[in-house]
Amino acid sequence: MSLNRLRFSGVRRRFGRLAVLDGAAGEVAGGEALLVTGRNGSGKSTLLRCLAGLVAPNAGTIELEEDGRRLGAAERRLRVGMVAPDLAFYEPLTVAENLAFFAKLRRVGPHRATELLARVGLPPDRLAGALSSGMRQRLRWVWALLHRPRLLLLDEPFQNLDAAGEAAVRSLLDDHLADGRGLAVVANPSSLEVPRVAARLDLGG
Amino acid sequence: MWRRASTWAAEAAAVFAKDWRCELRTRYALNTLALFAFTTMVVVSVSLGPLGTSADLGVSVLPVLLWLILLFAAAAGLPRAFVEEEETHTATALRLAATPSALYCGKLAYGVTLILALELLVAPVYAAMVTLSIHSPGLFVAALAAGGFGIAAGSTLVAAIISQAQGRSTLFSVLAFPVLLPPLLLVVELTRNAVAGHPAGVALSQLLLYDGAITIFGLMLFPLIWNP
Amino acid sequence: MKTLLAWLLWLWVAVVLWAAFFYAPLAAGFIGQSSRILFFHVPLSWTAFVAFIGAAVWSGLYLVRRQPDDDRAAAVAVELGFVFCVLATVTGALWARIMWGAYWNWDPRQISIILVLIFYGAYLALRGAIEDDEKRARLAAAYALIGIVVTPFFFFIVPRITFSLHPDSVINSRGKIEMESRMVQVLLASFVGDAALFFWMHNLRRRILALRDRRAEGESAVESKSWS
Repeated sequence: MSLNRLRFSGVRRRFGRLAVLDGAAGEVAGGEALLVTGRNGSGKSTLLRCLAGLVAPNAGTIELEEDGRRLGAAERRLRVGMVAPDLAFYEPLTVAENLAFFAKLRRVGPHRATELLARVGLPPDRLAGALSSGMRQRLRWVWALLHRPRLLLLDEPFQNLDAAGEAAVRSLLDDHLADGRGLAVVANPSSLEVPRVAARLDLGG
Repeated sequence: MWRRASTWAAEAAAVFAKDWRCELRTRYALNTLALFAFTTMVVVSVSLGPLGTSADLGVSVLPVLLWLILLFAAAAGLPRAFVEEEETHTATALRLAATPSALYCGKLAYGVTLILALELLVAPVYAAMVTLSIHSPGLFVAALAAGGFGIAAGSTLVAAIISQAQGRSTLFSVLAFPVLLPPLLLVVELTRNAVAGHPAGVALSQLLLYDGAITIFGLMLFPLIWNP
Repeated sequence: MKTLLAWLLWLWVAVVLWAAFFYAPLAAGFIGQSSRILFFHVPLSWTAFVAFIGAAVWSGLYLVRRQPDDDRAAAVAVELGFVFCVLATVTGALWARIMWGAYWNWDPRQISIILVLIFYGAYLALRGAIEDDEKRARLAAAYALIGIVVTPFFFFIVPRITFSLHPDSVINSRGKIEMESRMVQVLLASFVGDAALFFWMHNLRRRILALRDRRAEGESAVESKSWS
């Protein structure tokens, strides 16, 4: 019985007249990944945004438990780690400065960022505005794991990555799931395999 | 409890530092503010030139013009604090990482310091350009500080609201006007008193009341509107 | 039962109309029959005031409870309050024309009411600028609550400043009028009628909006099914 689990049911979200999500449900526990599939426009990104707390669903419940404790919505927002295509960083600041800023917000020491940067192979003194799209994606991964979240929400996590980048982040994901505590919800992984998939949710579309 | 408070302050300080670091590298806001302010000042000074600067004019008209200059410059440059976060899509990362009240406090501090920096530049130049003789310089400085704070605080709160809507720049003017009118009128009255050498009267305490109230409301309302 | 109450309301309105012209005496110091405007103008502004307080309360409730119905109630209260406020302004202007010779005198009360209209007009503009229901509700609620800070300044402080700016404006004779009991009766009866009208219209419109939202939800459910 894992102390870390995510459970959601009956999640509905409409934008104007368009119902993007219509009663999505799923469950994933520590050490597992939930794979969300569906065609374009089926609501995968919206579901992840709901799970992150960025968007409030019109109906349904979302429960995240960490170490046996249920988190409130505001806490959940601060505790998840997210990789998404629309996540951007401050272009006038360097990679290191960006991460130092978020480390202060997340009340995390400076070493974590250095360690993660080394693992994915990002130059800390490059301006965020000068990063290629692949490097930007690596930065998103570093940002997502900065505060050692239990729940990782991954939307198109492997986009724009070259072979080295892909290998680096996959090892990060493996480590995250390996200790049996981390969980992940993955959407749009393209054709790449996702490890330890315990469940699938097909949103159709 | 103490640790939580000190880290909240550290968060706010981090936001403040980040905004200033970005601003000093790009200078978008500073350039906008300065450009607006100086253009308007030149127009004012040139058009006032032929009218001369009688003492009467000094008290009644010049303070108004100074504050109009500052108000329009502020309206041009302050909303960026929130609007830019949304436009460059950095807001998502902030929503997932920052404590909302600390974020607001940092942004407010950034807005206030921005406007104070603007005033530091504009007020002496303006006073020189229009040959404004100020009889109570202490009160004049107090007016700049309290009025500047009020305008910055009102602008930051309204900016936080409109940054999540469409049609941001026009919407900002529409929403900010009624909110900024009270501190504007109060600080003009206060500035007039400072120029004429009259006592502050009730204007200073009422202006400080506004400053306090809008700050408290901002800190309370922001967390409720930043996230769904 | 509802129809009975509706008929009673219309009867009440008719009686108040009759009483305003035939039952109540004329007030001293007013030209001709013009004091009768009192029975319409004052209750209209009181009702607008009630409406805006209601809007603030419902907005606060929405931010706490996040029930869409609270948001609908707040929005409708502002819409109706705006209408009552416009009517109050117009009746006031008519009265001003008769008493002081011009529709607009920059009288402190006139300024206050215009500022309130501008503020709530801005609220309605904000609502119009946001598509998403949830976002619109939360941002509009915040702006309505800022009204709590700003409206006291409109009513108590702005008039003080502007009155002192225009010392030659016509003395406002609408201070304390010694009123006969019959006038008080009609005044209060008119207010009760206005308030009842407000709450009735508010209720109706709120229910219409709720039905419209429910239909939109139902339609969207049907639409999503048809995609698969």
